[in-house]
Amino acid sequence: MKLLDKLRCFLIAVVTMLLFIPAFAEGELPRVDDRYVSVKEINPTRDAGYVAGDKLERTLVLTVKKPYELILESLPIVGYEHRYRGEVSGIELVAINVEHQNHRDQAEHTLHLVYQVFKTGRTAKPAILRGEIVKLRHLDKKEIRQYRMPSFNFRTSPLSVLGEVNLKNEMSPLIKPFTLSTASSERSFNIAAAGLVFSLIGLIYIFGAYTWLPRMGGVFAKAYRNISKVADNEAGIQQAITALHQAMHQVAGKSVFGNGVDQFLQQHPAYAVARPEIERFFQLSRQVFFDPKVDPQLGMPAKQWLKRFCRHMRDCERGLKPEVHA
Amino acid sequence: MREQQLADWRTQALKLESEVNKVVVGQENPVRLITIAVFARGHVLLEGDVGVGKTTLLRAFTRGIGGGYQRIEGTIDLMPNDLVYHTYLGEDGKPHVSPGPLLMSGQDLSIFFFNEINRARPQVHSLMLRVMAERTLTAFNKEHHFPHMLVFADRNQVEKEETFDIPSAARDRFMMEIPIVVPPAHDIMESLIFDTRFHDVDQLITNVESDVLKFDELNGFAKVIQDSVTASPALRQYALNLWLATKDPVAYGVKVSNVDMKRLVLSGASPRGMGMLLRAARVNAWLHEREAVIPEDIHAVFHETIAHRLVFSPVYEMRRTEIAREMLSGIVNAVAAP
Repeated sequence: MKLLDKLRCFLIAVVTMLLFIPAFAEGELPRVDDRYVSVKEINPTRDAGYVAGDKLERTLVLTVKKPYELILESLPIVGYEHRYRGEVSGIELVAINVEHQNHRDQAEHTLHLVYQVFKTGRTAKPAILRGEIVKLRHLDKKEIRQYRMPSFNFRTSPLSVLGEVNLKNEMSPLIKPFTLSTASSERSFNIAAAGLVFSLIGLIYIFGAYTWLPRMGGVFAKAYRNISKVADNEAGIQQAITALHQAMHQVAGKSVFGNGVDQFLQQHPAYAVARPEIERFFQLSRQVFFDPKVDPQLGMPAKQWLKRFCRHMRDCERGLKPEVHA
Repeated sequence: MREQQLADWRTQALKLESEVNKVVVGQENPVRLITIAVFARGHVLLEGDVGVGKTTLLRAFTRGIGGGYQRIEGTIDLMPNDLVYHTYLGEDGKPHVSPGPLLMSGQDLSIFFFNEINRARPQVHSLMLRVMAERTLTAFNKEHHFPHMLVFADRNQVEKEETFDIPSAARDRFMMEIPIVVPPAHDIMESLIFDTRFHDVDQLITNVESDVLKFDELNGFAKVIQDSVTASPALRQYALNLWLATKDPVAYGVKVSNVDMKRLVLSGASPRGMGMLLRAARVNAWLHEREAVIPEDIHAVFHETIAHRLVFSPVYEMRRTEIAREMLSGIVNAVAAP
């Protein structure tokens, strides 16, 4: 009876083992000839310094030539824990993405694999991304073979080092020290710098008095420079008004007088926003040159007003819309 | 005192305009120009097609200005003495001499209206030259004065048969030549056709209030205007440049389409013409309540005071009106002030 119980237990153990261990359940399959299968691997750029929680991404491009084809069910599945010598390795597949491309003579399978480290220790230890085994079916003979893809060796590191540590001594010659990422700060800085440069160019375009940018060499820009140079006396005011008249004449292509403002603005609507100041300018011109009794009601010294008016006209000339008060 | 006088007369002048505009519709600009001529004491020549209202316009002004009014029709057989006297056999069977239109009103002659002046012979034009320039006439061994007289004349440019071109010297005596055209507004055109009040001109004219102005004070007041309205050095320079441009438009870059500018102008505006221009500009400034002439005042009367004085090459005389208008517009556009 005891013997029967022992035998039963042994049988149960054997059956259980056969059920849960595929290798034992199906046996070791023969390797496929390398002529039919090739693989191209894109491994992580770093092979050391991984700590618990880090992810490693790996891409394998498996090319299977006919008459073999990949058995898709043999691809590794997410959550599968790899064991080494009976112990869980602590490296787990957390994501797999497969792309297939079928050609006439071969099929190309691109496997994007993401592993996560779940192991740690007090010292740096070697670890491995296991060479996954996939199965291939012969299309004519119903023969099944396996192919082991190359593994990737790397090292894991402890999360912290106990005791006093001399960092110089502990630093790995394989990797450079971890530094805070400055990429986002650099990007922000570049964007801000570009914004600053554009703003400066814009300000120069608006306020600049020189002609090295497009549409900056207009007649009112030149008049503005001339007005800036004239003296703040009666003769200077006359010169400034004359310069503005000439600029207006050049824009219109003919002499413009106070009763021609409507026509001028009709033909040059860019200056329409400055209409109140244009009309006041003609009042000022009339006062200075023809009729001293006219009061143009400038509200400020004539030269200052003329400069402001000319700047507004220059803005109009440049396609801007100055803020003009009636 | 003077300011009050200027303001009062301005009111009267605007009233005269208003009265005339009541009976002559759609001619606001010619009415304004004639008002200016009246206060600048300048003779006026009207030019336009037949039946556009030239005579009506002048008669309306005549009624508003007051004073003696005489009229004569220009005909090919009109002789100078027809303006001075006419002879007839009286009831007593004896020959009699009566004063002609020029002498009829004596010194009170205010308006001498010469209808279709270009139908009169050059001898008549010659007589008019003196009367217009000097406002005197020697007849019956006596010099007659017409201190308040203005000559309003009209001419028909369409018909050329049995007409005589007014020589440039005679044209120069006129302060303005004002074109009269049919108003383009359709409602006015329709009114001119269907409104019966326009059909009887004599009756229509009576709608103008008579003697709005005191004709015998106009000379004195005209002087007040000319003395009161100033012209600044910049304005003088501008007027001078305009004058030079009428003499040599090429130098100012003035162009007229399909015209060889180098051959166009034989003679620009005369000194008398420029003087009249400034007189008219001063009146325009006064009507706009200003005491100084501005370029816009000159522009307001530039075409009408200068165009008829220009002497063109004969080859361009046929297009005179069109060329003069384009050339003077070109001058206004080309000459800057300041």
